[in-house]
Amino acid sequence: MRTLYSRIYLGLTPQRVLSILFLIVLAYLVIVPLFLMLRETFVVHPLERFQIPGSQVGDLTWAHWQRNFFSENAYAFFYRPLLNTLKIAIGFSLLALLIGGTLAWLVVRTDLPMKGLIANAAIIPYIMPSWTLALAWITLFKNQRIGGDQGIFTALTGVATPDWFAYGLIPITITLALHYFPFGFMLIGGALRNIDAQLEESAELLGASRFTILRRIVAPLVLPAIFSTFLLTFSRGLGTFGTPAFLGGPVREFVLSTSLYANLIGQRPGIGYLAAVVMIVLGVLVLYMDHKIIGTRRSFVTISGKGARAGLVALGQWRWPVAALVLGFILAVIVVPLCALVIDTVMLRPGIYSWDNFTLHYWIGDASLTVGLGTGEPGILRNSQLMSALGNTMMLAVVVALITGILGVLVGYAIVRMRGTWVSQALDQMSFLPYLMPSIALGAIFLAMFAVPRGPIPSLHGTFTLLVIVCTVSYLPYAVKAGVSAIRQVGPELEEAAVMVGASWWTRMRRILIPVQKSTYFSGMLLPFISVTRELSLLILLVTPATQLATTITLRYTDRGWYPYTNGMVLLLVVIVVSSTILSRRLMGTSIAKGLGG
Amino acid sequence: MPAIKLDQVSRAYGKQVYAVRDLTLEIPDGSFTTLLGPSGCGKTTTLRMIAGLDMPTKGTIRIGDKLAFSLEEGKSLAPAKRGLGLVFQSYALWPHLTVAKNISFGLEVQKVPRAEATRRIEQVATALQIDGLLGRYTSELSGGQQQRVAIARVLVMQPSVLLLDEPLSNLDATLRMDMRAELKRLHQETGATIIYVTHDQLEALTMSTHIALMQSGRLQQFAPPLEVYAHPANQFAADFLGNPRINLLEGSVERGHFKCAGLDLALPDTVSPADTPTATLGLRAEELRLHGASGPGLAEARVTTLLPTGSDWYYNVELAGKSLIVRQNDGPQLRLGETVHVEARPESIKLFAGDGRALLAAPTVPMGS
Repeated sequence: MRTLYSRIYLGLTPQRVLSILFLIVLAYLVIVPLFLMLRETFVVHPLERFQIPGSQVGDLTWAHWQRNFFSENAYAFFYRPLLNTLKIAIGFSLLALLIGGTLAWLVVRTDLPMKGLIANAAIIPYIMPSWTLALAWITLFKNQRIGGDQGIFTALTGVATPDWFAYGLIPITITLALHYFPFGFMLIGGALRNIDAQLEESAELLGASRFTILRRIVAPLVLPAIFSTFLLTFSRGLGTFGTPAFLGGPVREFVLSTSLYANLIGQRPGIGYLAAVVMIVLGVLVLYMDHKIIGTRRSFVTISGKGARAGLVALGQWRWPVAALVLGFILAVIVVPLCALVIDTVMLRPGIYSWDNFTLHYWIGDASLTVGLGTGEPGILRNSQLMSALGNTMMLAVVVALITGILGVLVGYAIVRMRGTWVSQALDQMSFLPYLMPSIALGAIFLAMFAVPRGPIPSLHGTFTLLVIVCTVSYLPYAVKAGVSAIRQVGPELEEAAVMVGASWWTRMRRILIPVQKSTYFSGMLLPFISVTRELSLLILLVTPATQLATTITLRYTDRGWYPYTNGMVLLLVVIVVSSTILSRRLMGTSIAKGLGG
Repeated sequence: MPAIKLDQVSRAYGKQVYAVRDLTLEIPDGSFTTLLGPSGCGKTTTLRMIAGLDMPTKGTIRIGDKLAFSLEEGKSLAPAKRGLGLVFQSYALWPHLTVAKNISFGLEVQKVPRAEATRRIEQVATALQIDGLLGRYTSELSGGQQQRVAIARVLVMQPSVLLLDEPLSNLDATLRMDMRAELKRLHQETGATIIYVTHDQLEALTMSTHIALMQSGRLQQFAPPLEVYAHPANQFAADFLGNPRINLLEGSVERGHFKCAGLDLALPDTVSPADTPTATLGLRAEELRLHGASGPGLAEARVTTLLPTGSDWYYNVELAGKSLIVRQNDGPQLRLGETVHVEARPESIKLFAGDGRALLAAPTVPMGS
C-alpha cells in the first residue's frame, strides 16, 4: 500500500498532471458535446411540438429521424442537399488537387522562373475568406434574378449570364476549388521537396526514363500527400457555409451546411442537428479512409532527404510562357475578384459602371435614405455597428490565437513527453477530433451544449466566451500539431539539462522550450488568428446581436441586397489577414505552410 | 567525494521488460567508473536513474550519505539536489543561448550572486579553453568545442559527481583521442567521481579505474579494467573486451586437457577443472604465438589472411576448420597458405563452462549480484 502510494506520489510529473487535466477538459469539450448533439436529434424542441402530434417539449422521439430519412419531404430536406454536398466536395477537391498539384510540381521540380513570387502568391487565395470569391463571382456574374442590377460581366459584354453559371453548384465548385488549391500546393509541394534526390538518381542510374521515375518512384512517394490533401479539402468542403449560402441561396440550392442552418434557426432544430450528425459521420469516414489507405495518419511528409536536389525538369522554350500562364492564373484568382469587389463598393447605384457613378459613399458617407441604395446606413468606416463587429473579430482572433498557442505547447508537451502511453494516444486523438467535424456542425454542437446551464457551467449562449471556446476547440488540431512537432524537435535532453541544474518546470518552459521553437509556435498561432478573422461557418450559429463579428454581420447586409457593405467588409478582412501574414513572416519567420504541418 | 551505492535497483517497463534488473553496485568515491556494454544493456538507464531523470521501479540509490531514491520511503531527491552534473550524448546545448548564457543558466537558476558567477564562469572557460567563444552561439562551434561547452556548463555547478553519457561518440577519431586524454586529466584535477557510459571497450579500458560491464540489464562484472581483461568473469566479458575479439573454441575438458578437433591443450596445473563435455576455450590474439617448426603442445594451422598494421602483424590462421586471429609483433613474417604451429601459453588461457561462467580465472573482485 505504501509503495503504491509513493509510486503515485513520485509519478506526479508535470507531463502526467498536464495530460490528466487536458484529458478531462478535452473529454468535456469534445466528447460530451457529441453525445449531447446526438441526443438533440431525439428531442422535441419548442417549435416542433406542433409538427409532431401529441408531443410535449422535451419528449424523446424518432420523428426527426423518420422525417429526415423516410418522409416524402426527405428528398428536399436531406437527400438533395446531401447529394449536392457530395458533388461539390468531390468536384472542388479534385479540381483543387489538379491545380495545386500541377503548381507544386512546376515550382518544386522544374526550372520555372519567378518561383518565389509564384509560391508566395499561390498561398493568398487560401488566406482570404473562402467566400470572398463567391461574393466576387456574384459581383461579376450576377443576373437579374436577385435584384434589378446586373453584374460587371453583363455590363461590359451585354451578354446575360445564365442561372446555372451565375448561381448554384457550378460556381460553388469553382470558387471553392480556387480557394482551396493552395492546400494541395503546400502539402504536395512539401512532399515533393522531401523526396531524397538519391532515390531518383538511383533509378536514373538503373536506366529509368524521366516518366518511369515520375510514375514508379515519385508518384508513389507523394501519393499519401495527394490523398491526404484530397481528404483534407473534402472534409473542409463538407462544413463550409459562406460560399454555398451566397451562391446557392438565390436559386434555393441547398447543401448540408446551408440546410442545417436553415433548419436550426428555423422551425426544425431536430433535423438541423441530424444534418450535423450526418456531416460528422462523413468526416469520420474520411478519417477512416485516410487511416486505412495511408496507414499512418497525417503522414504528409514522406521521406526526409538530405541529398542534393534532383535535377530540375527543363521546360525549355516553354519556360516563360508557362510562367506567364501560371502567374496570370494566380493573379486572376486574386486580383480580378478583389478589383470586382472594390469596384462594387465605389459604385453609387449598383450595376451602372460609369465614372459619374463613382462614390465613396459606402466607405465614408453619412447615413442617408436617399443616396445610392438608400440604406440609412453610414459608410463602412463610419458605421459603428460594422466597426464594433470588426473590433469583436480582432479581439476574438487575438484571444483565440493566444489561447490555442498556449494550449498547443502544453498539450503538445504532454503528448510528446508521455509518448508510448495510452494517455498520450488519447490526447492526440481527442485533440485531432475537431479537425474532422465540419465547422458548422461543430458550431451546432456547441449550441446544443451551452444553450442551457449544465451543472456548474451557466448558459453561455450569446457570450464572447462561447465564441472563444468554440474557436479554440476548432483550431486546437493545428495548434497541437505545431506544438507536438516543436517539442519533438527540441528533444528531451535540452529540457533535462535544465532539470539537472534545478530549473523548475515553469522556468524550463519559459526559458528553454518556448524560446527554442519560437517561430514554430508563432506559426501555430498565426493560422488560428487568420482563420478566426475570416471564420463564418463555425460561428454563424453562435453569434447574437451583442457578439456580431465582421463576417457574420456581412450576411445580414447580403440578405438585404446591400452588397457594397458586404464587399467592403470582406475587403477590410482581406487586407487584415494578408498584411498580418506578411508582417508575421517578416518579424517572426512564420509560415502558413508550417502551421498546416505541410 | 561521495561513493554511490545502488541496491537491488530495477527499472521495468510494464511487467515483462526490464531495462535494468537487480543492479547492486558500489561506485567508489573518486573513481572513474565506466558503465560498459552493448546498446540496450541498461547502462544509460542506470546513469539516468543515478541522475534522477528516470525512476527505478525497485531498489535504493544512495549518493554519499544522501538517500537519493527509495521506493519504500517514497523518496526521490530532485536531480539538482543530488550534487551531480550530467553531460549528454548530444551535448544538449541550448541553441537559442550564447555559450556564456549556456554556462550561466544553472547559476542563474540557483541564484548564485553575480560576482561569484562571473568568477566561476571565467574559471571553467579558461580551464576548458573556451574563453574566446563565450559570445558565440552553439551552432557556430565545432563538435569538439561544443563538447567542451557542455562539460563547462556542468563543471561550473561544481558537482561532486560527473556523469558522462557517451560523450565522445559524436566526435571524429582524432578528436576522440584528444578528448580521452583531456577527460582523464579532468578526473585527476578535479578529483570528482566520474561515471562514464560507453559501448566502446577501448575507451573503457584506457580511461577507467573501474568497469561495470552490463548485458541485458544485468551486471556481468565489476572490476578494474585490466582485471576484467585478464580475468573475465564469464564468456560475455571475455568476448566484449579486447580488440580483435577473443578467439573462442568449443570443445570438452578431459583429465586436465582441453580437447577439440585438432587441438589437445594441457590446462595449467594450478587449477584442474572437473571433466565436462561442453566447454569453451578463450584465447586472445596477443597471447598466441606462431612457430614455423612443430613441437610438443603445438597445433598445426594454415595461414589464411595477412593483416599488417604497421607496428604489428595480424594473421588469420585456420586450425582444424576454425579460424583464429593471432597477433605477432616480431617473429617470422609468414606467407599466405603457409603451415604454422600455434602455441597457447597455459597461464593466459581462459576456459568457460557451457553456461558461460569462467572456469579458470577467478575474479578477484566479487561480482555485485
